[in-house]
Amino acid sequence: MTTTDRDPFILDRPTARRLRARDAIICVLVAVVLLLLLEGKSIRRSGERMEPGIERTIVLAVGKPAGWLADRLPLADAVNDATAWLSPDEQVTDGAGAFQTPPAGVDATASRSGGSAPITEDAFDRAALGEPPQRLDRLATLLVTGDSLAQPLDVELARRLAPQGVRTIREARLGTGISKSDLVDWGQLSVQQTRERSPDAVVMFIGANEGFPFPGSAGTQVDCCGPAWAVQYATRARRMMDTYRRDGAARVYWLTLPMPREATRQRIARAVNAAILVAAQPFRSHVRVLDMNALFTPGGRYRAAMPVGGRQTIVREADGIHLNDAGARLAADVVLGRLRADFASLGS
Amino acid sequence: MVFPTIQFAVFFPIVLVLSWALMPRQHVWKPFMLAASYLFYSAASPVFCLLLAGITLGNQIGAKLIHRSDDARTRKRIIAVVVALDLATLGVFKYYGFFATEVNALLDSVGLGLPLPLAAIALPVGISFITFQAISYSVDVYRGVLAPASTLDVALYISFFSQLVAGPIVRAHEFLPQLESPRNPRKVAVGAAVALIILGLVKKVAVADSLAREIVDPVFGVPQAYAAPDVWLATYAYAVQIYCDFSGYTDIAIGTALLLGFVFPQNFDRPYRAASIREFWRRWHITLSRFLRDFLYIPLGGNRGGRWRTARNLLITMTLGGLWHGAAWGFVLWGVIHGSVLVVEHVFRGRVSMPRWLGWLIVFHIVVLAWIPFRAPDLSLAGTYVSRLVEPGPATLWTLPVVAVVVAAIVAQLLPPRPLERLRIRFERLHPAALGASMAAAIVLVASTVSTQGVPPFIYFQF
Repeated sequence: MTTTDRDPFILDRPTARRLRARDAIICVLVAVVLLLLLEGKSIRRSGERMEPGIERTIVLAVGKPAGWLADRLPLADAVNDATAWLSPDEQVTDGAGAFQTPPAGVDATASRSGGSAPITEDAFDRAALGEPPQRLDRLATLLVTGDSLAQPLDVELARRLAPQGVRTIREARLGTGISKSDLVDWGQLSVQQTRERSPDAVVMFIGANEGFPFPGSAGTQVDCCGPAWAVQYATRARRMMDTYRRDGAARVYWLTLPMPREATRQRIARAVNAAILVAAQPFRSHVRVLDMNALFTPGGRYRAAMPVGGRQTIVREADGIHLNDAGARLAADVVLGRLRADFASLGS
Repeated sequence: MVFPTIQFAVFFPIVLVLSWALMPRQHVWKPFMLAASYLFYSAASPVFCLLLAGITLGNQIGAKLIHRSDDARTRKRIIAVVVALDLATLGVFKYYGFFATEVNALLDSVGLGLPLPLAAIALPVGISFITFQAISYSVDVYRGVLAPASTLDVALYISFFSQLVAGPIVRAHEFLPQLESPRNPRKVAVGAAVALIILGLVKKVAVADSLAREIVDPVFGVPQAYAAPDVWLATYAYAVQIYCDFSGYTDIAIGTALLLGFVFPQNFDRPYRAASIREFWRRWHITLSRFLRDFLYIPLGGNRGGRWRTARNLLITMTLGGLWHGAAWGFVLWGVIHGSVLVVEHVFRGRVSMPRWLGWLIVFHIVVLAWIPFRAPDLSLAGTYVSRLVEPGPATLWTLPVVAVVVAAIVAQLLPPRPLERLRIRFERLHPAALGASMAAAIVLVASTVSTQGVPPFIYFQF
C-alpha cells in the first residue's frame, strides 16, 4: 500500500461532456415515459404482488394508469414477444394444473351435494397401524421446494444426501405463496415439477408469504384466517400433495410452520398449519407432515434460541420468520429421519 | 430500497426534478434531500433510521467538542471515544452474534459454563459503510482537514441515498465541500451518468445475477455434488459475479449522484488486470483500501520502522479488512491470504523479476482462489470446495452463455481501454432525449433477464 496524492474522480476525465440540469431531467423523463408505455403492465403487476403498505400504494398509483395505457397500446406485447427469449423462467401463473382450473376427475359438486368423500387405504400411515412401513427401494431424486423457508434447508439436505448419490433439486420460489397465485401458481408449478423431474421424494416448506385473500363466490373474497380461508388453503395444498405423491410412487414431506415472532404472522401460521394437517389426511400413507412447531416453538411460543447439543443456539433469523443455518440443520435431521424410514437405499 | 427496482424508478425521477428545482434555495433543498435519503433508507427498516440519526448526532457532537478544544490530549481522548462508539455500534450489530458463539464454544471447551447471552440481532443495511463515513468525518475534523460542518450537512453526508447502503465510501472532505454552494446546473455530466447507470444495470442484473443463478449458487451450495470442471468454472464465475455485482452497484451510485450534480470517487479500475496484489488493491474497492490505508495502516506505522513492522502492519490491516466484510472466519482467511501475499511481495520487491503476463497469471489465480473462503458458507465447506477442484468428473453446468460471459468479463479487463473510451465519448455526445431512450431500452432488455425471484440484493448490502 502506498499513499497516492489524489484519488481519481470520474469528472477528471477530460472527455466528460457536461450538459445542463434541464437536460438531465429531460433524459430521465424520456426514459420514464418510455418505460411507462413499455412496462406499464409489469409495474401494475409488481404493485399487486407487493405486501400492503405505502410502497404498494405508490407503485400502484403509478402502475394502474400505466397498465391501463399499456393495455390499450400494442407496444408492451410487442416488446414482451421480442424479449421473451431472454427470460430465464417458464410461465407458471396459469395453464395445466393451475388452481383456477378444477383438477381432472374431481367432482366439484360432491361435497356441496352432501355426499361423503370415500375413505381409501391411502389415508392410513402403516406405521401408525403398527404394520411394517412400506419402504421404497431407492431415493434417486429429491426435490426440495417451497418459498424462502426452503432455504437453507435445501442446501443442508443436498449436502448430507450427496454422499449417498442422491440428486437433490433445489427449487425455492422466493416471495411466493399458496394463497397468492399471481407470481407463481403452485398448482401449476407442482404439476410441472412432477412432470419434468419425477422426484422420488418431495420436501415442501412454504408459508412465509401467506395470508392473502382467496377469491370467493360471486366476486367476493375470503379473507385470512378463519375456517373458510383454511378450507381454501387446505384444498390447494391437498391438490399439490396429490400431485407430488404420484399415486404412491413418491413420498412427500410437508413441513409445518414454526411459529413466527409477530402476532399477525402467528395468526396466519396457525391457519396454515391447521390446513396442512387437514390437507394431508387422505394421503397419510404417502404424505408425512413434519411438525416444526413442536420442534422449534413448543406450545406455539416463539423462541430465537434453543438447546442444541447441550448448548443454547440461535436457530432463527433476525426477521423472526426463517430458520438460520443451525435451525435448518435441525429441520434436516427430522426430514432425514423420515426419509431413512421410507427409503431402503438410505439405510435405517 | 434497491436500485434496480420499480420503487427506485418511481422515487428517483421525483427526487431528481425536485432536487434541481429546490437547489437554488439551499435552506429548503438540504432538508428535502435529507428527508428523501431517510425515506430511501426506511424502505429497508424504518427503525434503523433512528440508528442512522444517532450515529450522525454522536459524531457531530464529538466533532464540535474536538473543534472547541485547544488541548491536544483532550482532543485525542474525544476522538478515541467517538471512534470507539462508532466501532462499538458496528460491533454490536455486526459481530456480537459471532463473538458470543465463538466465546461460548471456547468457554464450553475448557469446562467454564459462563455463556454470553445469545441474541438474533438484525443487521442494519449498510452499517459498515455508514460507520466508516462517520469515522471519516470525525477524524478529518480531528486532523484539521475540515472544520465541523452544520448538523444538517453532516446528516446529509452520512445519509446521502446514492452511496448510503454500499458505498463508495466517500470521505467527508470530498463530499462536504460540495454542499457549501448549490451544484452548478450548467455543468451536469448527463452522458457519463447515463453510461454508468446502463453499465451498472447490465453488470448487476444481466451478468452477476445470471451467473449466480446458473452456476455459482448451485456449486457453492453443494460442492460435493460437482466435479472439477464445474467447480473451476464456478470459481471463475464467482470472481466475475462479485466484481459485476459490486462495481455495478457503484456505477449506478456514481451515475445517480452525477445526475444530481455530485461527484463521487471511483471505486473500481479493472481489478483483474492487476499483476500484483498491491496493484489489485489500487483497482479493487478503491475507497475501502484508501480508508484502511489512511485510518489503519498508516496510524499503525505504515512502512516506517523496518521490514518486519511493515509486514505486521500489512497483515493486521488486511485481516481487519477481511473481518470488516462480516463476522465469519472465511472473511478473516480471505484477509489473511491477501495480507500474506502483500507481505511476500513487499519482502521480494526488487529482488525477483518476472514477465508481466506471468505476474498477472499468478496474481489472478490467487485472487480468484481467495474468493473461495469469502463465498463459502463456512471454512469446512470451503475445504470441501477446494478438494473438489481436483475431483475428476463430467462438466454438467458448462453452457455456452455461461462460459462466454465469464471469458468476456475477464478479457474485457485485459483489453486496452482506448476503444471503449471512444465508444463512451460518442455515447456521451448523444442528445439528452436519445440518452433517455437508450436508458429505457437498456432497462427493458435487462428487466427481461430477471427471473420470477426478482432482483437479488447486492452482495455488498450484507456488509
